[in-house]
Amino acid sequence: MESIVFGIGITALAGALATVAGAAENTESDIGSQGDPNSQVQLAPQMGYLHRIFNKAVAGEPPAYGLWVCLGAGIAWAFMAMQINPILAIILGSGLAVFVQGVYATTAYLGRTASLAKFGQPVYVDVLKSMTTVTMAHAFVAIFTAVTMCHLINAALGHPFPLPLLGLVWGIALGAAGSATGNPFYGKERQYQSQKFGAGVPISASGNIVRYAEAGERNSLDNGWFSAKLGGPASGICFGMIVFLELWRTVLFEHVGAGWGAIIVGIIIILIFAVIDRYIEVWARKNYGPYGPAKEEEATA
Amino acid sequence: MSALGAKPAAAGGMDPMASAIGVVILLVVIAATYMLAGTGMALMALIGVIVGGVLVGFGVHFVPVGGAPAAMGQAPGIATGVAMLAAGAGLAGLFGGAWAAGQGLVIAVITGGIGGGLMMAITCMFVNFIYVFGMGIPSASGKVAKDPITGDTQAEFKSQGTEGHGLPFISYVGGVIGGTLGGAGGTLIYIMLLDIYQAELPAMMDALPAQILPIAVSLAGIFAIGMFLVNAVLAAYNITGTIEGPHDPKFKRFPRAIVASAVASAVCGMVAIMIVAI
Repeated sequence: MESIVFGIGITALAGALATVAGAAENTESDIGSQGDPNSQVQLAPQMGYLHRIFNKAVAGEPPAYGLWVCLGAGIAWAFMAMQINPILAIILGSGLAVFVQGVYATTAYLGRTASLAKFGQPVYVDVLKSMTTVTMAHAFVAIFTAVTMCHLINAALGHPFPLPLLGLVWGIALGAAGSATGNPFYGKERQYQSQKFGAGVPISASGNIVRYAEAGERNSLDNGWFSAKLGGPASGICFGMIVFLELWRTVLFEHVGAGWGAIIVGIIIILIFAVIDRYIEVWARKNYGPYGPAKEEEATA
Repeated sequence: MSALGAKPAAAGGMDPMASAIGVVILLVVIAATYMLAGTGMALMALIGVIVGGVLVGFGVHFVPVGGAPAAMGQAPGIATGVAMLAAGAGLAGLFGGAWAAGQGLVIAVITGGIGGGLMMAITCMFVNFIYVFGMGIPSASGKVAKDPITGDTQAEFKSQGTEGHGLPFISYVGGVIGGTLGGAGGTLIYIMLLDIYQAELPAMMDALPAQILPIAVSLAGIFAIGMFLVNAVLAAYNITGTIEGPHDPKFKRFPRAIVASAVASAVCGMVAIMIVAI
């Protein structure tokens, strides 16, 4: 009984850490414009819209976070093997991994932006100076929480994978969950804030991203502020729930029915989420209605 | 906008010559493994790895991926890359499957599958959550007039100038099936390799099985992740860009990916097995 209570406590803590990791990951990637919406940041100068948005998408979020979390976990694991306190080891490992992220962000911004020179897009040194450190700070939060979560799973819950391997697995999953949930909010809702709410961006508007803020030109810190309002927290809850429910069903039901207990509970959870998803879909169709009449009006205008 | 602009033919047919060459390579690799390793266990492991790789390659075709256009609400699907999302789900499944490895092959593989499906179920729900409550956009498919499961009509919910957006229910179900197959396939590869490493490594390194276990787990885990990515990327090339799920005409291309995944898994599996079996 005590071990189950301990397991549930660790599961809750790992879920909470994953929630913070997901929120920080998505905010970091939106400040750095690393997800799929970056296609528009790269496209805009080619369409004549010069901007001051950071641009570091030379790798997708999942492989990038797979690298950074695995690196942080690997270095922390090495320090722990040298008998260094786990908390200090994880902080040191995450700190060193963040330096790699900083080098990546700097070279990616310079490389991607310099490739747009023929379209007149300048490389802004002040953007590089002010944004890189902010992405690094967010990346530290994401990497530290993800590595700590992996350490708990390995050391407290007894998962057989060594810490670096867990870092790779959960780093890729973190990037996948964060990019899937947070990208549309940044891509549609922020970059195309001038377009109609409640409709997709028409393909003809591609590249015409919003480049001006309340005062002066919009920069990526403004985008981070916007993402932190919904895209970031939603990504965090998404990743937190993935980690929490995966661990919860295993810790509590692993030994029920010779392993079938965890499987049945997993199927029930999947069905519950399917029902919630269907409810959201139907709710949107009922409350927002079809686009039909507006489309005809515009076509005739 | 290349993902929208350059739309290749929907259903690519099988090239008989390429398929025949693929099958020949597959048989040669299986025969070579049996000849070189000389044990039934190595052969079984290789077949398990091939089946696991095929499950991953097939499963990726179910995952609704919209890429960059989906991030602007211009196309349905999840706004990330095919291989990346499938890898995220499959590896989350592998995590669960590896944990259950001690409970036998069947339990572990199913647990891995459910882990992948669970990850996709939560992620896909949150995609719709963001579209509906964050952006005010309902789901609409651009490839079919009616959702094959719910029967909902799609065209009138598609905003002007787009191919659709969000995840219609059929895409949601496809995502869960894709994650399940990926998680099960990745776990099968892991367990097959773990068994052969646990059997061969103690004699090879002159150590006790308990001392060997961390090395066996790490080796099998990293090979499983590597082979997962090989098959996910192969399937992504077959899909070329974006896919809505099992109702998308591009889904019919999966036989090509099955042959390719079988051959690639056989070659990778032979290398993974030969490091201990020779």
